[in-house]
Amino acid sequence: MSIEVRIPTVLRKHTEGEKAVRGSGSTIREVLSDLDGQHAGLSGALIDADGGLQRFINMYLNDEDVRYLAQLDTPVKDGDIISILPAVAGGH
Amino acid sequence: MTEFLLSDDLARAMIAHAQQEYPKECCGVLAGPEHGTARKAYPLRNVDPDPVMRYAADPKQLKTVSDELFDLDHEVLCVYHSHTHTPAFPSTTDVDRASYPDAVYAIISLVDRAAPDLRAFRILEGRIEELPVVRPSEEPA
Repeated sequence: MSIEVRIPTVLRKHTEGEKAVRGSGSTIREVLSDLDGQHAGLSGALIDADGGLQRFINMYLNDEDVRYLAQLDTPVKDGDIISILPAVAGGH
Repeated sequence: MTEFLLSDDLARAMIAHAQQEYPKECCGVLAGPEHGTARKAYPLRNVDPDPVMRYAADPKQLKTVSDELFDLDHEVLCVYHSHTHTPAFPSTTDVDRASYPDAVYAIISLVDRAAPDLRAFRILEGRIEELPVVRPSEEPA
């Protein structure tokens, strides 16, 4: 199973500059773990110490925000696209 | 990066967005080719529960914009937002939440609504560096 993962600029230092990479697995977490074997440090930048999604990172499976699905344990299927986007946030 | 090249049109678009959302903070991004000059403004909805004090772009809208940028092979070159009651300088929250180290952070202050103040910064690993805002026509040949 091959899943496309779109990488934001800030994380392309882990993917040799590639803006999209491919991994395999049956959940988002497994795909990220597979990718970490090829692109060291990538999953560490996305997953916090408790195994959840890092603060200020948005992640989508196709068009759906994974926070409204099963987060990193959301199942994936061939042809799915995972997109990673740093949050646009701040304030006084 | 030693300066922020910004066209009059994009500067006007950001200021108009800030005025339109006042007293709430506005937010959005400017995008263009990687290492190039910003070509288009993408205003985003501020969905923070306290929009007068903070901003958080609508994640669904951010995804739609990101898809367009991916297809165009463009990047987020600038993240902008307004300060409606404080000067145009990054706050502690701005620094804490800055997630685009390769982008310019532009802030429009509306402390004086008749004279909006637009300033630009890099926010890198907690450090703030101000960049002069330069019109492309002012760029040295």
